[in-house]
Amino acid sequence: MQKILVAAFFLAGCCFLVTPVSAQPIVSATVLDSAAYDTLLDEIVVTGTRSPKILKNSPVITKVFTENEIRKVDVTHIGELLQSELPGIEFIYSMNQQVSLNMQGFGGNSVLFLVDGERIAGETLDNIDYSRLNLDNVERIEIIKGAASSLYGSNAVGGVVNIITKTPVDPLHVNFNSRFASSNEQRHGGSISFNTGRLSSATNVQYASAGELKMKNEGVYSKVYGNRTLNVKERLQYNPGDNFKLTGRAGYFFRERDSQVSSKDRYRSFSGGAKGEYAFHEKSNLELAYSFDQYDKSSYLIEDRLDVRNYSNVQHGLKGLYNYSFDTNNTLTIGGDYLRDYLMSYQFKDNGNYLQYVADVFAQYDWTPVEKLNIIGGLRYDYFSDAGISHVSPKIGLMLKQGRFTFRGSYAGGFRAPTLKEMYMNFDMASVFMIYGNRDLKAESSHNFSLSGEYTKQYYNFLLTGYHNLVDNRITTVWNQELKGMQYTNIDKINITGIDVNASARFPCGIGARLSYTFTRENIQMGQPTLSQTRPHAATARIEYGKTWKNYSFNIALNGRALSKLTANEYTSLTSYEEVEEVTYPGYTIWKLSLMQTFRQGINLIVGIDNLFNYVPAYYYSNSPYTTGATFSAGISVDINKFF
Amino acid sequence: MKPVTLFTQLIMLGVILLSFPACNGILGNIYDEPFAEEKNEFGFIETDKANNSGTVYIDATSYTRWTYIDFHALIVDSLKITEDMREPENWDIAVHRYDAKTNGASVLETGFTGLSTLKTSGEIPKGDYISDEWTTNKIVVDMSGMMDGKLKYAESYYNRELSKWLFVDTSTMPPAYNPSNKVYVIKLKDNTVAAVRLRNFMDTSGIKGYMTIDYIYPFKI
Repeated sequence: MQKILVAAFFLAGCCFLVTPVSAQPIVSATVLDSAAYDTLLDEIVVTGTRSPKILKNSPVITKVFTENEIRKVDVTHIGELLQSELPGIEFIYSMNQQVSLNMQGFGGNSVLFLVDGERIAGETLDNIDYSRLNLDNVERIEIIKGAASSLYGSNAVGGVVNIITKTPVDPLHVNFNSRFASSNEQRHGGSISFNTGRLSSATNVQYASAGELKMKNEGVYSKVYGNRTLNVKERLQYNPGDNFKLTGRAGYFFRERDSQVSSKDRYRSFSGGAKGEYAFHEKSNLELAYSFDQYDKSSYLIEDRLDVRNYSNVQHGLKGLYNYSFDTNNTLTIGGDYLRDYLMSYQFKDNGNYLQYVADVFAQYDWTPVEKLNIIGGLRYDYFSDAGISHVSPKIGLMLKQGRFTFRGSYAGGFRAPTLKEMYMNFDMASVFMIYGNRDLKAESSHNFSLSGEYTKQYYNFLLTGYHNLVDNRITTVWNQELKGMQYTNIDKINITGIDVNASARFPCGIGARLSYTFTRENIQMGQPTLSQTRPHAATARIEYGKTWKNYSFNIALNGRALSKLTANEYTSLTSYEEVEEVTYPGYTIWKLSLMQTFRQGINLIVGIDNLFNYVPAYYYSNSPYTTGATFSAGISVDINKFF
Repeated sequence: MKPVTLFTQLIMLGVILLSFPACNGILGNIYDEPFAEEKNEFGFIETDKANNSGTVYIDATSYTRWTYIDFHALIVDSLKITEDMREPENWDIAVHRYDAKTNGASVLETGFTGLSTLKTSGEIPKGDYISDEWTTNKIVVDMSGMMDGKLKYAESYYNRELSKWLFVDTSTMPPAYNPSNKVYVIKLKDNTVAAVRLRNFMDTSGIKGYMTIDYIYPFKI
């Protein structure tokens, strides 16, 4: 049945691509509610160049999720959103049910996540706490694949995900929302924002919880821990003059997991920042920002009623960014960052702490010599005080427009500096083995080559991208016979090659469709400490239909996600990289049906069935979806101010 | 200056000032500190002679040691596991990590979850009291081969009834720790009776293997 549906969607996508173009004009109100999710080519984006640019004119391919699309997908976590729309992204459970990302061969520490351009402190098993990235109060999410260290420095090896917060527009906006799912999940939130012209404020609170979920079959985990999350954010903006803007922000995050009967895992963050933006004149502007982010982990011991902290990462950052446009065809961007990175961890000897400073400068030139051609070049220098590492990251890209075609090609350098954890770890892994840090680590580096062609015609968009990554000195734990334990070590070169295909269409009648496919080949030689764990084929599909009237609108959407099976070689021993066994992880397909209705432009009702065809893994591997079958959800969101 | 302007500037100032916290973090005082004195204090840390009860706190973190508890003399001793190790002359129960053995005693897991309720029941629970058994695959002394399926065991007596006080499910990583919270009645070889309950298996830092055992000895009707 699922195969038939996949085939049907593929055929539907193909039909959209070959159907003659209708001469009927687009009715804007309808188009806004149709499948305008992949062809938002007039959207302003900033992540690819660190200066505002219209999406269709960006030399860097950027995937954008708008607020409206995020609402329609109806998810709580950013991982669910990215997985449902982008093939080749997997959020899986690593040890102790810690969420771990694999984005086409790149792990969580090789994909840089930003909120309004700011880094996020803290990690567990090389991944940030994705629960911090709640999707309330988000204007859009920008995703670029491939290396971007020439603008963003360390960690931007496999891609960048930038979450852009919403700026209040209405004089007053008050929203309350709730969502319940049959898998014992709840989400409740509220926001109040105002804009008086000079002053604007947005306050957002969200609480989400999930009960313990027992799996139906055997597997790596027999249950998923229950958990609850609280996210509070405040953003205040003041414009003393037309060319000057001040922004202050503060945030608090709390998450608790019922991981053991006798103790609970707790995670907190405290964040804040201040930013000033000044436009000297139309041609240039300056941005200066300070940011603070603290991420703590603690264990709540139920018997002793003690909440004992065992991890704290505190980052203070200063940032300067200056853009100068000589004319409409020449833009210079220069900037620099300074970061103070403090880490206390239970994984250091005697719960010790370490400190390092990071400084960088960068420059980028964006040149449009003729209307059809855009060339961009950039260079960045990073310095890490504790490791004593310096790194230069270059980038050159060009975009050529020819009729309805747009071609892009780029070379970009990426790198990831060794973290304090990787340099100083001294951790007894349950008396099984020790894990040691390594002060002699080199930075991971990568060379990313990308070529793409895009075709856009009225209702259709077709994008084909091919890329190749040469990754050197990847940092991972390797058995050290001398130390009789694991140690962080640089490993030999690996290659990651892939193709992304995306076809989408939208029609004035309200029908839209998208089909995305990706092929990834991670080439790691036998004898390396880790072998490929990346599924070669993945696809996502979406078909939807929507209509808008004066006081009512609806959108019904079917989302699908298909992942191929993975046959991987795995070492039979922890201490030797000679003998392997072949392990096959099954492929799977999951579909989600959702219906969103809007009444009087202020009440949103959304109901959905996730895992529509009731897929249940026969065995729950770490990379299986931890589902027990179809789940039903219902949510309501009310904009109170629309009724007064 | 207009009140609105003053208000907005004060708010901005407040937000900016709040954004410049201490170098190594803020709000550290919301967390608890582990009890400092606990780290050095082991043995019979509380005794109530009037009620024949108390608390024993032991360091059972090592895989290569047995910790011996003597309820008669209120003494705790610890010995490294070797082939020619000689056990203490007098002891009642011994603990290795979460494994337990007895000195010729037999044990019953009761339905009571508190020593006081056992005491008020007014009788010594009846049932199948379980004696120790000789084992070759229970007492792990070296975990280092675990990932390759090669654990090293010491041959030893083992009391499977008393060891139920903490069930460690190793089918998941990290293991799931499930204390039974029940009271165990121990008929010692001199025909006296002890009752114990494992109150905690962690210290106040959350490190596992520090056992807090509440007891009644002698338990008389």
